[in-house]
Amino acid sequence: MKNRLKVLRAERNWSQLDLAERLGVSRQSVNAIETERHDPSLSLAFKLADVFGLPVESIFINPSTE
Amino acid sequence: MHRTAAAQRYTRRMWKISALYIVLVAVNTVVKYTPDVSKTALALGAIASAIPILLMLVVLGIYLREETDEYVRDRSVIALLAGLGALLSLSSVLGMLQLGGLVEKLPIFLAFPVWCCVWGGTQAVLRWRDRRLAAQA
Repeated sequence: MKNRLKVLRAERNWSQLDLAERLGVSRQSVNAIETERHDPSLSLAFKLADVFGLPVESIFINPSTE
Repeated sequence: MHRTAAAQRYTRRMWKISALYIVLVAVNTVVKYTPDVSKTALALGAIASAIPILLMLVVLGIYLREETDEYVRDRSVIALLAGLGALLSLSSVLGMLQLGGLVEKLPIFLAFPVWCCVWGGTQAVLRWRDRRLAAQA
């Protein structure tokens, strides 16, 4: 699923590892989500929203609206 | 490399069970070459060798339930399926070849090591791919 993780990370000057530690997952997980090789579960998507302080739909792009 | 607490527990458990498997294989081999050994002892030894295999599957199940990193969990399932797919395909091909008399009979107990090798190999390849992709990011 398309997302804005890379941009949001860059805005906060976070590396993939920084974000992974905040989420409690591996760096490879963050990379897989960022490069659209893995769609996160709903709970991980909400965790991402909490970490960035944004609603889920501001992080992930709804495929039906593309 | 980041390893989750579940993965660390899984590795510790697997080492112990693998050691048990090796011991049981060694005991079975020794028993086979012991003179005047009873058929009951041989049968019990053979059945005992399946215990660590069942324990490994239980430990795998526990790991898949405990693993909090969903991407790592998905990767483990893919590797397990690759091992299973390779084993079933190989056994089917070899079975047909044996039926046609093209190959000699092979020891059935090799199925477990084959499954382990493909499973472990796939895990390693997927981990390497992810590390490479993460390094490029």
